[in-house]
Amino acid sequence: MKIKVLQHDPAVHLPQRPGDPTPTSRNLDPLMHPFARARERTRALNAAKMDRMFAKPFIDSLEGHVDAVEVMAKQPGSLTTVASGSWDGGVIVHHLARRNQLLHVPQAHKGKVSGVCFSREGRLFSCGVDRSIKLWSLESSHTESQQPVTVFTGKSAFNSIDHHNSDPLFATASNLVQIWDETKSLPVSNLTFPTSTETITSVRFNLSETSVLASIGSDRTFTLYDIRTGKAERRVVMQMSSNALSWSPTFPTTVLLASEDHNLYTFDIRHLAAPSQIYKGHVAAVMACDWAPTGLEFVSGGWDRTVRIWKEGRGHSPEVYHTKRMQRVSSALFTSDARFVLSGSDDGNVRIWKAKAAERLGIVTARERAAIEYRDSLKDRWKQDAEVGRVVRSRHIPRPVYQASKLKRTMLDAQRVKEERRRKHTRAGEDKPKAARKKLVVVEQA
Amino acid sequence: MDALIAKADALQPKQKKRKTFHDSTDDSLKKHTALPKSLRSTGPELDVPAHKHIANKKLRTELTRNATHTARSKALLQDAEMLLTEDAGLMHAEGDLERTWRVGQTEIEDGAGQDAARGRREWTLEGGPYRSRYTRNGRHLAIVGSTGHVSTFDWQTGTLHAELQLQETCRDITFLHDHSHFAVAQKKYVFIYDRDGVELHCLKAHIEPTRLEFLPYHWLLASIGNAGYLKYQDTSTGQLLIEHRTKFGACSAMAQNLHNAVIHLGHQNGCVTLWTPNLPHPAVQLLAHLGPVSSVSIDPSTGGRYMATAGRDGTVKVWDCRNWKGAVREWSARGGTAEIEWSQRGALAVASGGSVNVYTAPAIHQPMHGHTQPPLYLTHPIPHRPLASLRFAPFHDVLTIGHSAGLSSILVPGAGEPNFDSTEADPFENRKARREKEVKALLDKIQPDMITLDPELIGSLAPPSKLSTATTFDGKPAVETPFARLPRLERLRVQGKADETEVVDPDDTAPDGRKFTPEEKERKKMRGKGKSLKRFLRKQRKNVIDPTAVAIRAKLEKQREERKVRAKELAGGAPRKASALDRFASG
Repeated sequence: MKIKVLQHDPAVHLPQRPGDPTPTSRNLDPLMHPFARARERTRALNAAKMDRMFAKPFIDSLEGHVDAVEVMAKQPGSLTTVASGSWDGGVIVHHLARRNQLLHVPQAHKGKVSGVCFSREGRLFSCGVDRSIKLWSLESSHTESQQPVTVFTGKSAFNSIDHHNSDPLFATASNLVQIWDETKSLPVSNLTFPTSTETITSVRFNLSETSVLASIGSDRTFTLYDIRTGKAERRVVMQMSSNALSWSPTFPTTVLLASEDHNLYTFDIRHLAAPSQIYKGHVAAVMACDWAPTGLEFVSGGWDRTVRIWKEGRGHSPEVYHTKRMQRVSSALFTSDARFVLSGSDDGNVRIWKAKAAERLGIVTARERAAIEYRDSLKDRWKQDAEVGRVVRSRHIPRPVYQASKLKRTMLDAQRVKEERRRKHTRAGEDKPKAARKKLVVVEQA
Repeated sequence: MDALIAKADALQPKQKKRKTFHDSTDDSLKKHTALPKSLRSTGPELDVPAHKHIANKKLRTELTRNATHTARSKALLQDAEMLLTEDAGLMHAEGDLERTWRVGQTEIEDGAGQDAARGRREWTLEGGPYRSRYTRNGRHLAIVGSTGHVSTFDWQTGTLHAELQLQETCRDITFLHDHSHFAVAQKKYVFIYDRDGVELHCLKAHIEPTRLEFLPYHWLLASIGNAGYLKYQDTSTGQLLIEHRTKFGACSAMAQNLHNAVIHLGHQNGCVTLWTPNLPHPAVQLLAHLGPVSSVSIDPSTGGRYMATAGRDGTVKVWDCRNWKGAVREWSARGGTAEIEWSQRGALAVASGGSVNVYTAPAIHQPMHGHTQPPLYLTHPIPHRPLASLRFAPFHDVLTIGHSAGLSSILVPGAGEPNFDSTEADPFENRKARREKEVKALLDKIQPDMITLDPELIGSLAPPSKLSTATTFDGKPAVETPFARLPRLERLRVQGKADETEVVDPDDTAPDGRKFTPEEKERKKMRGKGKSLKRFLRKQRKNVIDPTAVAIRAKLEKQREERKVRAKELAGGAPRKASALDRFASG
């Protein structure tokens, strides 16, 4: 007879010396882990709830402007330096980490400051409706005197300014796009689409194909220029005008437009006939947009007093930030480390937000990091579950915004029903309905 | 500019067919980063369900990816078995003439190692019969005598935690989540004590309890008593969750299924009922025995697939919990009423009369006609009748029998699971690990309303709906219209609430059952007069099940039957004499 009785060797299961970690043993047999799925779901639900509990995105507000903040720009290559210009003509350069001002010029321009941008050497350009462009240095000898290094004068009020990625060139937008050399007092060249007579509201250089330039105008157009050929290449007329544009930092052909019709659009400039994605969520005109340096996210701010953070390619349910005192958002920025978001609004403050609402600032230990990653994967895995999904999706939004979105939904539904009935009872119904993406572009011109 | 939009075809006419887009960068990257074919896994084909009924492409891809991941991890689980270090105990007959059941405890003790032999114990105690219960990690033992002697201790080191003389009848004992709390079913109420034996709570809602069970993952203490009420108490919040009236009277057989947290009760009338907190009636009710049920146990080794019951009629039956059509196997236990218990690795112990018999796995699950006892694995005589309780120690080859003279532990080689998982139950855990586990278990507490017969229900995909919102307009292909925009009748149809039974007009059929031809119908059509009842019915017929309409329809049907009977009586034969019983016949 062969007899063997189970016995556990304490030497294997107990620590060898005092202070040693207790050995653990694993048995992955599913029968040893009853209710594994139900328990995992509970963990996922807890993770989702914790995420909402710790969602405190607001960090700080940077004061100093007397009137609404109109424009903001970050310094390339710096995580902390951000310039903002306001309707009272003041320009401030903020240091985000220290929360102080590197430069404060209360009367940089007469009237509003309509554009700020940094040159590669870290000098600041600002343009205003007073038909001048001023170049400021951030060195201490200059900041005390509050005098510009150089002043460029133009023939009409400027609406926007952007610096070339590598060369000492910058572009301004007025009733035409002008390219300036930093060392010359007059524009190097004028770019305009042959039939354009309207105001150009914003101009931006492409970040990797550095000689390509895009602009948007109040005549509902989006225009592409090349400074090597010195002429406008393509133009698209859309249903509604755009308020801001931003080139994707990682996909050189992708451009983001913030439109007056409450939506944001990404275009692949190789196919300008239709946007590659529509981002619906705002309930009023979108005034500003900016890509995260990763190109996976972008931020937008709008007339509905909210800041929204979108995932690239996901056209709905963005993260929504708002506070009681924040007024209409006219500028929004992603910082260069993709961790923070800045918004400048009509109440004259620049606000700093976390890009991920529930993220913990400060040092995160390896165990904590592992726990965070586990929770994230749980949330992702169980997002189809009704209860977990509800917690993950739900956001508190201000009552006026909520009411507006309800009203908007009702109106869109009614419109859709009407359209459906019209198609059902007229000859229009014989063709396929036009996709929403195809409705945006009115005409494409070369 | 040209570099950017060199490949653009923005100005060319739109192509009808979508071209597959080849990115040369991506292609060149793929060539250098893809795993060579020789290194790719050549495992068996994974059984992944194709979610063909899901229309949403993104969701379908996601689901397929998840299913593939699950299937792959399941396949990898088999590899993980190689990492298990310890082997189960066994008793193996080597010659043809040897029988394992002839081996006595002394011989097993000799064959066992020094540590394992310590599992063989005899506790001689007054005030029996005794009942016992182990913690989930098998380290601590709680015993209770029927006259009120309660004790909890670490049976391996012999450390006594608490010893109480409660001086009243005690019927059952159970540990809560770990050995730091235990509950005793006393004469009148259930009491909860802490590790040191300090009374913490008196649960006055549980009156005259007879049996207790603790559901560890739901933190529920379930009790059944002489009044026949099954009560669930949430031990994490202290609330009495729910009480179910079983309507079967006093009950003294209770067991939980570890894998789905369903409570099995054995009743006086021979019924076994399965209970969940969210159902006010038993989920399953079956007549198991011809007399009272004395004991119920569920097999943990097969994921709760088999249940064993023993009755006062002297039989032991094994049931398949997926198919309740008759017992898989039944046999008579010598000595009448039996007490039964299933071990972690599927050994079934039956205590009846003056001995404990142990049967092992493949034989007890095999269907067999007639009352054939499965081959005996091990037997042990105990002279102290009655044998009141049986408990296997988890992760050990030990069976503890409670009887009138105390308790005896015997060695049953091959009963216990050799490899424990430290995250679930660890016999060697220290104080810090126990406290951490308590907190984690509280965080992972499953809500009681999620207890179902099928534990895999949570997180599984809902079956594809048979109802569809697809509607067709004038022969055009079906369009899936959102529910919110369907007309009311269609909505009722989709919800399955529409009454789609065709209403037969009673005037359409002739007395002999055949339908009227259109001419006949025209001839018999009632003219000029609108029957108010018919008009009312027509209104009620709007595809909605309405109790009044149903009642009226039933009434009409009855009247027609009566009329038919009367016509038959008039036409053929003599009228039947009225009887006094007629009032019952016609209702």
